[in-house]
Amino acid sequence: MDYAYYPGCSLTGSARRLDKGVRKVFRLLGHTLKDIPDWNCCGAFEYGDRKELTRLSGENLRKAKGMAREVIAPCPACSKNLKEANGDGDFRVYNPLDLFSKDFLSGLTIKRDLKGQVFTPYYGCVLLRPAETAIPNTSVMEEFVMNLGADVAGEKVKDRCCGGNRFFINKWATEKLSRMILEKSKGPILVFCPLCHMALTTFSGNERVVYFTDLILYVAGEEGTL
Amino acid sequence: MNEEQFKAIFELTGYRQQDFSVCLGCKICASVCTVNDLSPSVNPQDILLSLFLGHEVNSDHALVHYCTNCYRCTNACPWGIRIPEVIRALRESLALESTFERAFKGSLKIWGRVYEPYIFMKTGVFLLKEGYLKYMPKWTEYMSFHLPHGVRRLSSQGGPSDSKGRL
Ligand code: SF4
Ligand code: SF4
Repeated sequence: MDYAYYPGCSLTGSARRLDKGVRKVFRLLGHTLKDIPDWNCCGAFEYGDRKELTRLSGENLRKAKGMAREVIAPCPACSKNLKEANGDGDFRVYNPLDLFSKDFLSGLTIKRDLKGQVFTPYYGCVLLRPAETAIPNTSVMEEFVMNLGADVAGEKVKDRCCGGNRFFINKWATEKLSRMILEKSKGPILVFCPLCHMALTTFSGNERVVYFTDLILYVAGEEGTL
Repeated sequence: MNEEQFKAIFELTGYRQQDFSVCLGCKICASVCTVNDLSPSVNPQDILLSLFLGHEVNSDHALVHYCTNCYRCTNACPWGIRIPEVIRALRESLALESTFERAFKGSLKIWGRVYEPYIFMKTGVFLLKEGYLKYMPKWTEYMSFHLPHGVRRLSSQGGPSDSKGRL
């Protein structure tokens, strides 16, 4: 299937690992991601002006016209903004986590299981809230790892805030919030948000923070992803 | 906060002053607010109440400083009031944006995208002063260099408007 793809700013820079991972997982599943040409920034959470955010994402959707009805945006801030700008409009906007159900991923050839391992799936905020733009299955990462024989930890903190949004503003606040999550984790922490990845990594000790796509690629037999 | 700044908050969020009359004062938002972990007895509702009554919101309010945009309040509120967006508008109308937020918007103005090396440069003094550089060893996987892409079309007219009732 063909999807219009919106990478977003951080996926072209600090979160290029997530970009590569998403592209590869979709490729392994036989799908084509076509980059939206000349896409612009979605504005993330930096604007108080709701109309400005709608305008920025509306512009991206116009640039996607005629490419595909389905739009994929991996960064949770981008997918939220695009979903809100689209409303009940022409497109169906997805974060990959909206799609990564058992059925959708069943096309993967599983080359490794996860028996005896433990992971901490961590969703944070924007993937789960507000309800209108949230992912439909809030245990999608748990289900994936448990199906492959691993245990999960940190259920109590999976929807807490890491404070990443304040990282470059009040870092002590981010540190305190991130540490509360790190303390409850066991095994690699699975994230999907570039900001969570950065906040948790920055304040981690021995804990490892990886993108969920790294794990998917690991079980699909890729080397060096986990 | 002058009249104009007060009005701007409503213009920016799309809320009307009377929209906040539905707030029950139940403080469910306060019971779930992330900022409770950072500062004692935080109550998002008092911002809404002040705005509803036409009162000044103190720019020292803990949420003006620390609201993380986590939307826990919105999710728990019986009316789904988008408190973080009200707080964002408040910061913007009071010109309380941080160095980082200004750099972000600056980059968007120049290229239509966030160009991380530019943000790094613009916030360099702040990062240095605040002791961020000690984290650099943890950031190796984030570092890279690419040239900026200048977006050609950023603001064509007639975008989808937000016509849905949001309360
Ligand atoms: S969005 Fe802001 S006000 Fe609402 S719960 Fe989170 S930190 Fe508190
Ligand atoms: S949860 Fe909603 S209705 Fe209750 S006090 Fe907070 S803003 Fe008001």
